[in-house]
Amino acid sequence: MSTSSFDDRLVIGGKRLRSRFLFGTGRFPSPAVLQQALSAAEAEVITFAVRRVSLERVEDDSLLQHVLDKELIYLPNTSGARTAEEAVRIAKLARGAGLGNWVKVEISANARTLLPDPIETLKATDMLANDGFVVLPYTSDDPILCSKLEQAGAAAVMPGGSPIGSGLGLLNPYHLGLIIEEAKVPVIIDAGIGSPKDAAEAMELGASGVLANTPVAKALDPILMAQAFRMAIEAGRMARLAGRIPKKRYASASSEEQGSLFGAARPSTAGGQD
Amino acid sequence: MASTIIILGGGIIGLSCAYEAAKRGLKVSIIEPGAFGGQASGAAAGMLAPFSENTEQPDHFFQLCYSSLNLFPAWISEIESITGISTEWVQSGSIHVFQHEADLLPIQSRLQWHNEWGARSELVSQAQLRKLEPHITEDAIAGIYTPGESHVFAPKLAIALEAACSKLGIEMISQAGQLEDLKPSAVGGASIRMQNMRKARHADQVVICSGAWASQFEQYLGLSIPIHPIRGQICSYEMQEIEIRHIVFSSQAYWVGKKNDRLVCGASEDVAGFDTTTTERGIQRLVRSSAEWFPFLQDRAVAHQWAGLRPATRDGMPLIGTISGMPGIMMAAGHYRNGILLSPITAKLIGDLLEDKAVRLSLGAFAPSRFTVCL
Repeated sequence: MSTSSFDDRLVIGGKRLRSRFLFGTGRFPSPAVLQQALSAAEAEVITFAVRRVSLERVEDDSLLQHVLDKELIYLPNTSGARTAEEAVRIAKLARGAGLGNWVKVEISANARTLLPDPIETLKATDMLANDGFVVLPYTSDDPILCSKLEQAGAAAVMPGGSPIGSGLGLLNPYHLGLIIEEAKVPVIIDAGIGSPKDAAEAMELGASGVLANTPVAKALDPILMAQAFRMAIEAGRMARLAGRIPKKRYASASSEEQGSLFGAARPSTAGGQD
Repeated sequence: MASTIIILGGGIIGLSCAYEAAKRGLKVSIIEPGAFGGQASGAAAGMLAPFSENTEQPDHFFQLCYSSLNLFPAWISEIESITGISTEWVQSGSIHVFQHEADLLPIQSRLQWHNEWGARSELVSQAQLRKLEPHITEDAIAGIYTPGESHVFAPKLAIALEAACSKLGIEMISQAGQLEDLKPSAVGGASIRMQNMRKARHADQVVICSGAWASQFEQYLGLSIPIHPIRGQICSYEMQEIEIRHIVFSSQAYWVGKKNDRLVCGASEDVAGFDTTTTERGIQRLVRSSAEWFPFLQDRAVAHQWAGLRPATRDGMPLIGTISGMPGIMMAAGHYRNGILLSPITAKLIGDLLEDKAVRLSLGAFAPSRFTVCL
């Protein structure tokens, strides 16, 4: 039986996306593994650090040259930026180089945790949204901050589950749940995802999508892992739409006595032949 | 303990393993389907740069690279003195150059762990950078200088190793053609049959050092061996003098000044099966990158261009070790961009395994069976 014809596609900045899996391109062991993992992921949006790519000629770039044949939306990120002004400068470099007008704002204040600087992130989001960018800020999992980012013009907000590359999963599902509840733009869980179960958890919480890089690129088999992530994100989304059961403290039998074989074998007190 | 050894594959890894096994008194034959010198080996820029190649964390792969760097000085001088062939080892140091302010943040954590491992790396300012590399573009705003990194001339190293193997009395068989069969033998050890060899050959141990071709052994070993060739295109310029003093890395390319008045620029990586031709696109992106980072190269013509096949793996780490259920067969393949650097440590590990000696490094991360899951 097919479900309704309701089109459950993620829309960001007016663009209807084929996939809810946003794909990070860093740290893959070889171009072949990157290409095959990207195919297995079936992702449409890819992210990469602007500081790493060749802005003079994008087609020459050591990374982007391997994905030029695919129909993708680029989400250049400002990783390494420490201030709003720097992030804005990087975003403009990327747009100037023809990489599109989407940008992932990523501003870190601490080299060890790489946690986002909330104040600079808000400033940069405001400046870039006013300048016509489709802004997706990577942010702390703070519900108030996320709503301020939304007011500042973010096309989606991307709270981290835990620090970048840590693989610690969703450390504060309660906050993420609040963010999702209140947001009027898509919420993409970015950073800290360790395995497909974290991605499925994020989607079941009601996230609109998941951005993952390290848990795919550094897996023993990134191609297989990309496929596993795709399936987990799809499964989590379906589960969210399907509606999970409430949690109960004690068992409740999955088959009721009346309808069971043993129930039927007992002498019946009603019905039957008179 | 094994006493007769067949090394399959005559690239830098196979030659190094054969040399090591013979030094330990084992009777060694090395069998190469084509010509000695390999497909990745001779094409490599010969950089010994474990820090620059590992910027994220001191994982198992970094530790393997690091151990190998430490073996290099003694290993090189031994091979050079046995053969009288210079491998043109240049202790140049390296500089990773940056154009963006945003590059500086990740440098901090990199420098911290690199220096804990003795890299003696330092962040150099634009002014210092121009003193170290006078010809670098003014757009370079900073660099990481790592004094302990160096380079050899890879084709010479391959020639020297081949000569060293001959000197040790190793049976050297080239042009053996394709592998036709490999099987464990009922009497112990394993036997192989090659297209151009009349008889099957048997040894107590067969060591597979087949680089990018190693996945063909899947059918004989019952293992998943996801090694695939990545083409690496390289070009070189004529140099009047030493115009680039260090190994210079950027996000797009690297430059190495060789002793033979050649400046080598690499590498354009792409996925092209076993094709080793160069492409206009692959070489021209190096040319444009060279002109951008070193403006004096703008008007200089490319002198040579070539390509090699690098054996890449799914997780970026080589396959080194014994194969469970096949006591007569071991493997050392999948070294990707680091085969030259990893030669001495790979040879030492294989030598220890051949002698049933305890191995210093944990080999779990490199186990050839790690991609094969049963049940």
